[in-house]
Amino acid sequence: MTARLQSLATYVPRWGDDRQRVAGPDEDAITMAVAAGRAAIATAAGPVDRVVLVTRDLPTLEGSAEAVLIAGLDLGTDVLATIVVGGAPTALDLAASSEPGTLVVAVDVTGAAGAAAVVLGGVDGATLEPLSRAERSLPVLVRDSQGAVFDYADPRLLRVRGLGAAMTALALSTKPIVVAGVSAKDAAGYVEGKPSPLPTTGASSALFALAAAIDAETPGTVVATEQGTASAVSLTTGHTARSTHCPVPRSLPRRRSVADAEVKISLPAYERAFDGKVRLAAGKCSECGNLDLPQRYRCSQCGAEASSALAPLPRDATVYTAVSVHVPVPGLLTPYDLAIVDLGDSGVRLLAPVTDADPGSTAIGDCGNVVLRRIAVRAGVPDYGYAFVPEEAAR
Amino acid sequence: MRRVAIVGAGMTPFAEHFDLGIKDLLPMAVTEAIDAVDKGLDRTEINAAWFGELVSTDGFAAGILADQCGLVDIPVSHLENACATGNDTLRNAFFAVASGYVDVALVAGADKVRETSSQTTFWDWMAMTRDMAWDYPLGLVAPANFALHAQRYLHESGATREHMAMVAVKNHANAVPNPKAQMRFEVTMEQVLSAPMVVAPFGLYDCTPQSDGAAALIICGEEVVDRYTDKPVWIRGVGLGLDRVMHQHKADMTTFPATVKAAKAAYQMAGVDAADIQVAEVHDCFSTIEMISYEDLGFVPRFGAAKALEAGETTMTGRLPVNPSGGLKAKGHPPGATGVAQCFEIFSQLRGTAANQVASLPSLGLAHNVGGPTAVAAVTILGTAKP
Repeated sequence: MTARLQSLATYVPRWGDDRQRVAGPDEDAITMAVAAGRAAIATAAGPVDRVVLVTRDLPTLEGSAEAVLIAGLDLGTDVLATIVVGGAPTALDLAASSEPGTLVVAVDVTGAAGAAAVVLGGVDGATLEPLSRAERSLPVLVRDSQGAVFDYADPRLLRVRGLGAAMTALALSTKPIVVAGVSAKDAAGYVEGKPSPLPTTGASSALFALAAAIDAETPGTVVATEQGTASAVSLTTGHTARSTHCPVPRSLPRRRSVADAEVKISLPAYERAFDGKVRLAAGKCSECGNLDLPQRYRCSQCGAEASSALAPLPRDATVYTAVSVHVPVPGLLTPYDLAIVDLGDSGVRLLAPVTDADPGSTAIGDCGNVVLRRIAVRAGVPDYGYAFVPEEAAR
Repeated sequence: MRRVAIVGAGMTPFAEHFDLGIKDLLPMAVTEAIDAVDKGLDRTEINAAWFGELVSTDGFAAGILADQCGLVDIPVSHLENACATGNDTLRNAFFAVASGYVDVALVAGADKVRETSSQTTFWDWMAMTRDMAWDYPLGLVAPANFALHAQRYLHESGATREHMAMVAVKNHANAVPNPKAQMRFEVTMEQVLSAPMVVAPFGLYDCTPQSDGAAALIICGEEVVDRYTDKPVWIRGVGLGLDRVMHQHKADMTTFPATVKAAKAAYQMAGVDAADIQVAEVHDCFSTIEMISYEDLGFVPRFGAAKALEAGETTMTGRLPVNPSGGLKAKGHPPGATGVAQCFEIFSQLRGTAANQVASLPSLGLAHNVGGPTAVAAVTILGTAKP
């Protein structure tokens, strides 16, 4: 079977350097999946009716990650979201074997951070066809269910009996154009010419590799590997809509944490606010059209009661006022900035943390966008909401 | 409604009273207020009491006042209205006396902010004042919520951090002679401007300290005033105003509509206007808030606070001394007690007995609080002339 790629979006965090990006403190697999996924959906021609997230960096093993993913992507609550624990070969296989209308998004948070997403289907995009697969065991790196890492620490073994043996097992008839899941140095020798480094080496690297090949209009064999395992697909290039979020890197600001603090949560309040807060939607009054954020029982303008429905808000934002909190607040990294922003021309303002920018750098009148971030972790529950990214921080 | 006067007032020093609980501070302030009644008052003559406290420590607020002050045989009500609690407690007691329901009432206010670790105060306060789902987790600590206003105010008005520092310098100087004040030391402009940043634009000296304390007033109806004093201070006007609660819903953050509404109500009731006020205790939890409040109270035109500060209009020798006690800034701010203590100060100023007395002996004064997430304000106007 052949899979076709309608759109492909890549995302790397702002923080880090040219060599490696690192996730911000308010980013996790869900927020990064949403960032890449929204961009892929926005440029896709057709609708998305299924979501598959591939990562080994789950924010929680149990909770409601799938629901946050669906709401963050602003998809219907009837859309099936599946989270798959896997690396680069799994992400590549799912991109090559999922049904049209599926969003496949792969994310890496620990280490080199990045996310990439493809929407399958359409008529004239690049195509993927599975070629071969080698599922082998060489657990040089092990992460247990509690997140503890056990590293056998033998890079040579990994090169020889991991990538080397897996490449042999794939029995490819031609040299691949790109090998994802390892460093460019390790990929050298297996590909034609000098390989370009990919932003990540985990699950998302498979989709970053597809993006690189599509952008270079280089069809051929794409390999993704992870420890002893590898998978190969055949790529033909085509008119796949592409979007890239790759701001100029900046080193993560030094911030301090004084002490832990129990940040309380009320789950009834969380549940009532969830849709408005994660989808960024206001209550729109059916009587007068006024928007209230958060949605409320009684319209703030005309007084109509129980008559509003959620309506999406614009995400372009302008700073009305902003402050920089320097005093150490237990449980938070300080300093941090908070801003009240005007959302587009909706007349709605949002109180939001400022993110992807150095503390103290935000001024009244600054333009930018609001994006989904993990605002806090409250009694173990990741709490998602919107943060303001100044325009300059997204360039 | 009949006329109502304050005949006695007292307060504990404001401080970090680690050695005194609410059960110590309350009776100290109440007894001082009773003892301050010129012709004497036996506490059995008090018909009812109102107690303003923001955060109850050691349990049930009204019961603690009744029990600890020997007032278990009269009705006692607890009132909480954010940082406007003190002046609103007086306002509610005023109505009971003015209506003729009682002749003599006790107004008490107290808070014990330093009863919990300063580390936990931030989150406790946010849990009390923020929407649990939308605002609480963002870390909008108390200085930040006022700083959101201050930043926009500086942006639009053209005022600077130097003007804010003038407020801090003035109020610190005023606190020096006041034995009830928490921060009895002067600061210089340079010290204020170079102090560590708390929440920009507020440096350390732009901010009120965390305080414990209690204050109390004895008020009575006009028919019985002569029994207690020949120098009553009349409650001329009271006002309370509200505003939208969440900051993102306040259309213009350079002004506090709650204050404008409270002041309008109080001026109207008193039959006076801002120009008649001769001394004022104004809410200055952060320096910029005193500036915005000058404008909201009508003391100066919109965005005229900086100019008034430059001209020294609100210093002890200016045309309208503001915060002769040191204000929240230097006297301290145990929220429930703050408004009551402001009335203690105005009562003392109008009777010529204040620790830092305005030399011209004012006859009309004003007390003002704004609080909550800047969503409530209370104004009280006191005068020596019988209304």
